[in-house]
Amino acid sequence: MLLEYALWAFIIGGLVGFVIDYKASTKASSLLAAVGAAILLGQVYQVYTTGPITGSVFGIPVHMDGLSAVFLFIVGIVSLGSAIFSISYMDHHRKRGKGWVYAIAYNTFIASMTLVVTVDSLEYFVVAWELMTLSSFILIFWKEERKDLDASLKYYLTMHFADTIPLFMLLGLASVLTGSIHNLSYQAIQNALISASTSTKLLFYALTLSVFISKAGVVPLHFWLPDAHPAAPSNVSALLSGIMIKTAVYGLLRFDWQMIGHNVNLGYLVAILGAATLTIGTLYALRETNSKRLLAYHSVGQMGYIWLGIGIGMALIPHGGTLAALGALGMFAGIFHAVNHAIFKGSLFLEAGAVEYATGTINLNELGGLGPRMRVTALATLFSSLAIAGIPPFNGFISKWLIYVAGYQSKDFILAVGAVLAVVISAVTLASFMKFYGAQFGGETRKYSDVREVPGAMQLGEWILAGLTLLIGVFPGLFVKFLNGAVGTINRGFIASVPQNVYRIGFGSVLFSPLLFIILMGVLVFGLYISFRPEYGKESIPWDCGTTAFDPDEYRVDAYGYYIKFEEKVGSFYLLMDWFYMIGRGIVQYTVRGYMWVASYFVKIVDTPYTVVKSVRDLRSRQVLYIDEEFFKPFIRFCNIAKIALPGIRLGKFIAIAVIIVGIIVGLIIVL
Amino acid sequence: METAVKIGFSFVGILIMLLLPPYLEGMARRVRARIQYRRGPPLMQTWYDLQKLFKLPSVRPTKSIMFTWAPYLALASALSAALLLPYGNVIPVNFGFNLVVFFYVILMVSVFLILAGLSVQNAFSHLGSAREMQIVLTVEPLIAILYGVLAYNAGSLSIAKIFGNLHPTASLVMTYALLAYALYVESGFLPFDIAEAEQEVIGGPLTEYSGRLLGVFYYAIYIKRFALLWFFVSLLTLPWVGPITTTIKAAEVFALQFFLTIAFYPIIAALEATNARLRIDHVVKMNTRAFYAGLIILAIAFAGW
Repeated sequence: MLLEYALWAFIIGGLVGFVIDYKASTKASSLLAAVGAAILLGQVYQVYTTGPITGSVFGIPVHMDGLSAVFLFIVGIVSLGSAIFSISYMDHHRKRGKGWVYAIAYNTFIASMTLVVTVDSLEYFVVAWELMTLSSFILIFWKEERKDLDASLKYYLTMHFADTIPLFMLLGLASVLTGSIHNLSYQAIQNALISASTSTKLLFYALTLSVFISKAGVVPLHFWLPDAHPAAPSNVSALLSGIMIKTAVYGLLRFDWQMIGHNVNLGYLVAILGAATLTIGTLYALRETNSKRLLAYHSVGQMGYIWLGIGIGMALIPHGGTLAALGALGMFAGIFHAVNHAIFKGSLFLEAGAVEYATGTINLNELGGLGPRMRVTALATLFSSLAIAGIPPFNGFISKWLIYVAGYQSKDFILAVGAVLAVVISAVTLASFMKFYGAQFGGETRKYSDVREVPGAMQLGEWILAGLTLLIGVFPGLFVKFLNGAVGTINRGFIASVPQNVYRIGFGSVLFSPLLFIILMGVLVFGLYISFRPEYGKESIPWDCGTTAFDPDEYRVDAYGYYIKFEEKVGSFYLLMDWFYMIGRGIVQYTVRGYMWVASYFVKIVDTPYTVVKSVRDLRSRQVLYIDEEFFKPFIRFCNIAKIALPGIRLGKFIAIAVIIVGIIVGLIIVL
Repeated sequence: METAVKIGFSFVGILIMLLLPPYLEGMARRVRARIQYRRGPPLMQTWYDLQKLFKLPSVRPTKSIMFTWAPYLALASALSAALLLPYGNVIPVNFGFNLVVFFYVILMVSVFLILAGLSVQNAFSHLGSAREMQIVLTVEPLIAILYGVLAYNAGSLSIAKIFGNLHPTASLVMTYALLAYALYVESGFLPFDIAEAEQEVIGGPLTEYSGRLLGVFYYAIYIKRFALLWFFVSLLTLPWVGPITTTIKAAEVFALQFFLTIAFYPIIAALEATNARLRIDHVVKMNTRAFYAGLIILAIAFAGW
């Protein structure tokens, strides 16, 4: 199986980190990760052409069907772009050293995500999932900067409470269901769930949804995401936003739809969560001025679109008839959007990284004027920005449009309002990315006049993904069969009736021909350009009302001020959400306080005795002694003193051996 | 209908979309002048202005490639949108005859206008671009509502299906009013011409444009306004004239569309002449309210009225 070779590439990629210095190790491990990713794409093609593959890799049972193939494609393509980008990008972080940590964590991260979407047994799923969380945590905190500490811990703790605990409970539940801890294959659990009681099913839903909602960054468990994703290096952020959060979508479809069976109410829940998520995530992104944080908030928002599409599918498919056809379209569109989001968001994070590499900052208020200096990156950013904003004929438009069609035509008020929100938020996304592009690449500044374009490997990495945004947008028909493979796998062969045609995509009479559109646009643009060829007279500086004492770099609107009037007018939304945030923080705070109350019996502050432990910060900033340490402390003190004192006592070798033997005998007698 | 007739209709449609928009603007200037007790320029004046602009070379304030290409991209988007409209019952280039595609292609004119404004180092351009984006931000929700009501009423987002299946309800009448308002705002007619606002932000995104490139941009904006108006007129007439089977009827409908488009322009001009420009926060506030009203209309539509 090709998968095995890919995993070998990741293992070797991790191990080379040990042998050579920073620069060589990051380059070699990134290159091997790219090789592994390319092999994964080969594996996807194999599954696509020959059908599902079952087997085992290193003793792990693996089953790759249509659904796995789509998500394996996401893993492969984003990793490929990111890994090629990393070959040069990691030089930016040379000062931090620790190339070997990066090499191991980066390759482990990709390998674990590969396993998450391919394994065929719950226990390996849990192991791979935990490995994914752990390796991503290491990568997020890889820079070891004080400001990232909170973000990393927030991520790890959220994952522990909302992921690890439910997953282990799920293991227990599944082993009870199947009757044995050694028989946790997906098929066995599926068979056992058929005859399970309603309460068992509810427990199963609750546990799995907790895991997938928190990992996907869906409201209300999205709070970790906008902090954690920007903290990582940009190539890792691309993996986090591009792939990792998509594994939750895979899990949702695999566990809560295929395994447990169809459920309309779950569909409404997923659709409503999706609509809420897309609104909240994107409106928060609008006022962000840190480019990576902006992208991270958009990951929350776009995840909402994916959940909305899948939710429409889940709510409508069980109805049968025309509604089921629309539902299948919604699910198709949701999965399509997952693929598209992986591609353009991966690309956008890489470009944010390229700007960081070239200028050293990701603050949109400071950046500007990079367009003429970094033409290749600028065009890639423009492509990806238009794609995420859903401008035809880029890929984001096609999948969003299919979600709209499914939502609007469903004749269901809740789903239609979801679609209304999706259209509205699409405009907000556009606004946000006009700012993202304009603030970085628009204008011309002196401050960045010596900035140069990033190295070739980074450009290639960006363009593997940015080029695909246009390619998939113009030829979506090529992906129809591939995506319908996933829809069919989880719906017992029922697929979306999207024409598998190179020229047209759509549903029923609602069609769009991206190829015709781009040809028309191309003919018109070039025709107009040639017939009214621009004629330039003289060059001049931009008109500045004739001022003299003015820094031309500051003659602009900075990112903060773009939509300030709009933000003020929808301010009540932000106030409401901040209020919810406060409630959430209150809940966390009181949980922590309760925990602290328990903990205060087990911990003692050493440096200033009799201090009452009030918050976690007290534990972090002071020297503390835990109850087990306190118990062993006298013995440790004795050993410490003995270590100093013993060399002073001069005993013969014979006496020393005799003392030890006597000690052993005495000990044995006491024990017996 | 045979191909020759189709080609004939398309040809006339293309002629109209290319030649009529500046005339309409000239007409509006005349009406405005009359309302203000002036004589006003000849109907051809906007054409003369465009011709003069096309003859003049442009001043170049930046090395940005986007600056050069944006006008052409905007004009191409406006033309693509106009080519997607029904002339009689003929669509010149049908690359996706449905609501979402049409409005997104129209939106691309604004997108390239915004990108053009952001490509130069000029605070006025940036301000204009940001304003244009904020107007789009607040108009798009109204259009989203429109999709919802029409798709529920006719059962499809396809414009052909909507023309065929629309049935009169109370919510539909309200939707027409909402649509008229939304299209008026999106066209950037006077109380809403905040993005360009010559006296205030010296032309907004167009500040740095001059000569031929400026002419191309103006042309694109005129065609966009025409396309939005033609869309409105089509939605007003085509669902109610019954199925178009003969060439004669198609020609009659075409003539009706044409004369209604011309008839609506003086009304628009009168509104322009009697209103003062609003501030951006006023527009945001108004459109937010209109969106809430739209949600109520959507609920009414789903209730079956």
